[in-house]
Amino acid sequence: MTRRPDVATSAPGWHRRMIQSLLYGRGVDRARKAQARLGLALVGFALVYAIIAIRLVLYAATADTHMVRRGGSSDAVATARPDIIDRNGEILATDIKTPSLFAEPRRIIDPDEATELLAGVLPDLDSREVRDRLGSKRGFAWLKRDITPVQQQEVHRLGVPGIGFLPENKRVYPNGNEFSHVIGHVNIDNQGIAGIEKWIDSRGLADLHRAGFGVDREQEPVRLGVDLRVQHALHDELVAARGKYRADAAAGIVLDVRTGEIVSMVSVPDYNPNNPREALEPNRINRLTTGVYEMGSTFKALTIAMALDSGKVTLNSSFDARGSLRYGHFNISDYHAQNRVLTVPEIFTYSSNVGAAKIALGQGVENHKAFLSKVGQLDRLRTELPESAEPIVPKHWGELNTVTIAFGHGLSVAPLQSVMGVAAIVNGGYLIPPTFLKRSQAEARAIAKRVVKPETSAAMRYLMRLNAEKGTATKADVKGFYVGGKTGTAEKVINGHYSKNRLMTDFMAVLPADEPRFLVLIMLDEPKPIAETHGFATSGWNAAPVTAKVITRIAPLLGLDPRFDLPSAEHLILASMKETR
Amino acid sequence: MMRFVHFIVVAALVAAAVYVYRIKFESAVQAERVAKLGAEIKRERDAIAALRAEWAQLENPVRIEALVQRHLSLKMLDPTQIEQFDSLPERPPMPAPPSSDAIATIIDGLEPAVPTGVAAGPLPTTPRTAR
Repeated sequence: MTRRPDVATSAPGWHRRMIQSLLYGRGVDRARKAQARLGLALVGFALVYAIIAIRLVLYAATADTHMVRRGGSSDAVATARPDIIDRNGEILATDIKTPSLFAEPRRIIDPDEATELLAGVLPDLDSREVRDRLGSKRGFAWLKRDITPVQQQEVHRLGVPGIGFLPENKRVYPNGNEFSHVIGHVNIDNQGIAGIEKWIDSRGLADLHRAGFGVDREQEPVRLGVDLRVQHALHDELVAARGKYRADAAAGIVLDVRTGEIVSMVSVPDYNPNNPREALEPNRINRLTTGVYEMGSTFKALTIAMALDSGKVTLNSSFDARGSLRYGHFNISDYHAQNRVLTVPEIFTYSSNVGAAKIALGQGVENHKAFLSKVGQLDRLRTELPESAEPIVPKHWGELNTVTIAFGHGLSVAPLQSVMGVAAIVNGGYLIPPTFLKRSQAEARAIAKRVVKPETSAAMRYLMRLNAEKGTATKADVKGFYVGGKTGTAEKVINGHYSKNRLMTDFMAVLPADEPRFLVLIMLDEPKPIAETHGFATSGWNAAPVTAKVITRIAPLLGLDPRFDLPSAEHLILASMKETR
Repeated sequence: MMRFVHFIVVAALVAAAVYVYRIKFESAVQAERVAKLGAEIKRERDAIAALRAEWAQLENPVRIEALVQRHLSLKMLDPTQIEQFDSLPERPPMPAPPSSDAIATIIDGLEPAVPTGVAAGPLPTTPRTAR
């Protein structure tokens, strides 16, 4: 490095001038050059400061989000869940904040003393476990989740160092038992483990939580298609019916046949989702989706619909139902045996097993199988609920199977599945997968699949209404709502044999039968004969009157107007059928 | 020229320092306010959620029904009690206002001194006895 020459304006010495000329060249004005450089530096620094200023502004603008995220993750360990509301906006499940007690064992000075003090305030704490947790060298340990504000105050007053509270989200179900099987429940960390709650998690909420979001309440509520008031009425009646007929279980569904929305679904015994431990008892399962049953004579509706839809059978066709049908060493007889030639409407209203079997045989095994598959009875039905059961379909489907399945034995389906099938038959022929969410008619039409002709559907509505006017379903006829229906009684299989006195009865009602809006299924598991039923325990004596009670209560809630001046089925439905043809 | 620039730069430096300090201070105040309001909103939201849950519990049909059965003599609705709007009979023509209030004339006959304004007014309803 050369020594910097002193820039002197006054008469520099010759050696200086020489060095200058050597370094900078001849004839260069040093002063002007320095000024230019200074200017350059000035601009450079200004630029640097401008960049810093802009960065500062940017930091100020974006700093917010960082702060919020840091603040959000520190509270609320149990995840926040969206509210669940019914079709009218009533709350079915919501979150509230409750304090939870935790400890930082490393900071605890005397674990024994702390344990003793805490046990004084929270007597239900397990002292040994608390002592172990406090004595460990961990940084964090839960002591008790979900304590009351009073307990929080008392613990706070103890003044034990190393113990603190975290506000946590706690799921509450204000309606208790009534929605247990629909909504399901959550675990202590607020994660859905059954029902719609689990479905919400599977839709991506769980992933959201793992990423650290979703602790806030800002989530769109989940709107279901169920109706709180209808659910209450159904639940109330089923609990009463279960007591009255001393049944093992009772279950019911109300389905909107035009949209496939499940307006109500009850299966008693149920459990209180606020106390999910009850849910583990096997008797409290949801019989409508997780159980499969032989539905009995309600299946005749499907059999006859198949025959009418094929065109080979009309309402005026008749079948020989004399005596009983021998098939191998099986003997099929009628409960309400008429022992004569019956027409199709008579087979339906007398619920003739022999007649139904002969109708099905006339269609052939393959057609029978294909039709049941078409109306969704042979595959597992999946809804939003994670719980579903596979129907039990015979492995080798021979003529004998067709004979028994024609009247609802030998094929076990989830009751919800059979409701879907019958709904398709009465609603004009559209198979609509049922849903627990709200769905409009347009949306339903987009996913609907035509399975039978509209005329077949009208004929089936006529048969169901006729059955309520003068068949086995007269006890289900509620004046004013033009109910149509079909009874079903299935003998339960006990030790591989059909039992004569352990029955599963069900009733499928369509209302109103001329322009169906809703389908109601009521099911009783092993109802006992009582004095009022004159010793009978078949569907017409228990499930049918229960259905009538349910309809009386729910029809006004569903917005159906009673009409008292309607003519009989023959005039109303059958006549309109002939007109449209 | 340079001296002038120096002057401006120094002045700008001082002004910027003062301005930045003020902004910094103000932003700290605002941030604190935001945090406070945020916490308040959160608390209010939690309170609303708790109240809504309580409300839902209070208006739960099971509870209402139990209360009704205990305190009122209401019965289940029967379909025959429902009437359509269209099937209501025509509104009967308004009865002509009576030429003279029968009771008023009696009272007037009894006590001619009573001012007419009281007699023409609506009859006082009997106070309900608290059960």
